[in-house]
Amino acid sequence: MYTIRNNMLTKIRSTANIGLTTIPIDVEVDVATAGFPGFTIVGLASKAVEEARERVKTAIINSGFDFPPKKITVNLAPADIPKDGAAYDLPIAVGILIASEQLPENTVFDLKKQFFYGELSLDGTLRPTKGVLLLALFAKKITGSQIFVPEFSANEASVVNIPVYPVLTLHRIIQHFTKTKPLNPLTYISVKDELDMEPPEFDLSEIAGQEQAKRAIIIAASGGHNMLMFGPPGTGKTMLARALPGILPPLNEQEALEVTRIYSISGLLPPGASLITKRPFRAPHHGVSTVGLIGGGSNPMPGEVSLAHLGVLFLDEMPEFPRSALESLRQPMEDGDVEIVRVAGHVKYPASFTLLAAINPCPCGYLGHPKRACTCSERQIAKYRHRISGPILDRIDLHVSVSVIAVEKLSLSLKNNPNAITSKQAKAMVVTARDIQTKRFAGTNIYTNSQMKNKDVKKFCMLTPESENILKLASDTYNFSARSYIRMIKVARTIADLDHKKDILPNHIAESLQYKQMV
Amino acid sequence: MKLFNTVTGKKGEEIASEFLKNKGYEIVERNWRNKFGEIDIIAKKDNVLVFVEVKTKIGELYGLPEEMVGRGKLQKVRNMATVYLKGKEISCRIDVIAIVLADNGSVSRINHYENVY
Repeated sequence: MYTIRNNMLTKIRSTANIGLTTIPIDVEVDVATAGFPGFTIVGLASKAVEEARERVKTAIINSGFDFPPKKITVNLAPADIPKDGAAYDLPIAVGILIASEQLPENTVFDLKKQFFYGELSLDGTLRPTKGVLLLALFAKKITGSQIFVPEFSANEASVVNIPVYPVLTLHRIIQHFTKTKPLNPLTYISVKDELDMEPPEFDLSEIAGQEQAKRAIIIAASGGHNMLMFGPPGTGKTMLARALPGILPPLNEQEALEVTRIYSISGLLPPGASLITKRPFRAPHHGVSTVGLIGGGSNPMPGEVSLAHLGVLFLDEMPEFPRSALESLRQPMEDGDVEIVRVAGHVKYPASFTLLAAINPCPCGYLGHPKRACTCSERQIAKYRHRISGPILDRIDLHVSVSVIAVEKLSLSLKNNPNAITSKQAKAMVVTARDIQTKRFAGTNIYTNSQMKNKDVKKFCMLTPESENILKLASDTYNFSARSYIRMIKVARTIADLDHKKDILPNHIAESLQYKQMV
Repeated sequence: MKLFNTVTGKKGEEIASEFLKNKGYEIVERNWRNKFGEIDIIAKKDNVLVFVEVKTKIGELYGLPEEMVGRGKLQKVRNMATVYLKGKEISCRIDVIAIVLADNGSVSRINHYENVY
């Protein structure tokens, strides 16, 4: 009754990304010699993976190969990890071609160390696929590994020093293995070469007046402190925010990889791009949902807080954001990461961002305006203010009033004030301050003063006795919370760094005090 | 020569039952039907009842006959088989015979897939 079947079984390696963790996946392809023809994919495959059947079948035929009319079973092992996305198209197609003996296995160098990853188009070309950088970083841990990825996404892997083969079509990969026309691996680009300076798009010197706000924004950029700008409409809050990317220090090697990983998994890297070299500046509209801000979905994806990792999250018109969305910022603001829990599992994304918020003093915007009258009622103002809770305000270190500018300062006939600080000068200050911090935190995973935990504050922030006295006096008078107290020391630390001082002097503490919310 | 599909089908069933007889099967029923559907061939060998679905195509240009027997069709054959058995406990299985005819009507290939469901 039973005949011994001599099936062709092939194992191709690929990876699955769960959050930012990469797990190796064995794509096992079995082409049976007996049995009713069919094509099944097992191994907790999502809809996108299930549909790989039709894509792979058509792509194989359109690449000039035969799709074997046999019983084909594809297993994605380990079976208990949910697989999503179209990246398994390529390993499945290669597996079928090897198992159906259209591609002799002996020409293939070493299937254990070759990783295949990519979405197939019906004509057999490979489409840009998200998560290629994560695959490359994973493959680097295995000595002698090679990766085969879509040509359009290959550049993001070029910053990892392993052989990366950019593949344009399924046909090309076959030519590579039959040695008729080998593929050329990408040349390794050092991350350092990619990190060149880009000119600022908006210059600080273009903004009239607002010297205090400019000073605060430099402090925010240097130490990564959260900042809130407060003032009537049209005084330059949004402009100041737009100038911030221009004074942020460039990403270092480690940081650039961290940021690019998040963008790679979100599929937000433009095709052909290799590395995110500029600090992210995210300005979500105030209609954003909690999930949009924090991240989520059944297969949890990073939200705006993670996309702003090591950069700036700008919330314009902060009171207009849904309360639930704003409150959800509390934990990431404190911890620098965000943990998303869904049925599919829990995922941790880094979310160490600088919050920059702009708010109006009242709904009409003219409360406290020197000339215009505010038309809001007491009740309206109170309600508006209540939209931002105390815990959020307590986490913001720099409160700056952006007041109305005198018309004389705006006069077009006036040349730009020669004393006004330019973005270039500001950036130089920021970069020096960051260098001091990098040296201080060498060997830790802290990049900026704002990321210090309480024990680090004790270790790194020397207060002179006088400074401590001032701080004590201020705390007694204004009843600061314990968190505010620590945060104020961190701001003073940054101010001292900008001043190139080792200890925190009284004037540094005094300056940090004036940015504290006194209401 | 283009034939009507029913004519092609009939011809295929004819070829299939000859094929089964040559293989040592005993043909029990041909085109056993009720208002829900039809079983092309019911055959028997070594006390195993075999329900056979026959699929015939002229040329492979418009797809293989194997591709034309989907989940739904097999489910239908299974349902019909259940009705046929009327609860009797006999060992049985479902087979598919795929036949490809050449343009001149001669058989260019015939495949017998056992126990497909």
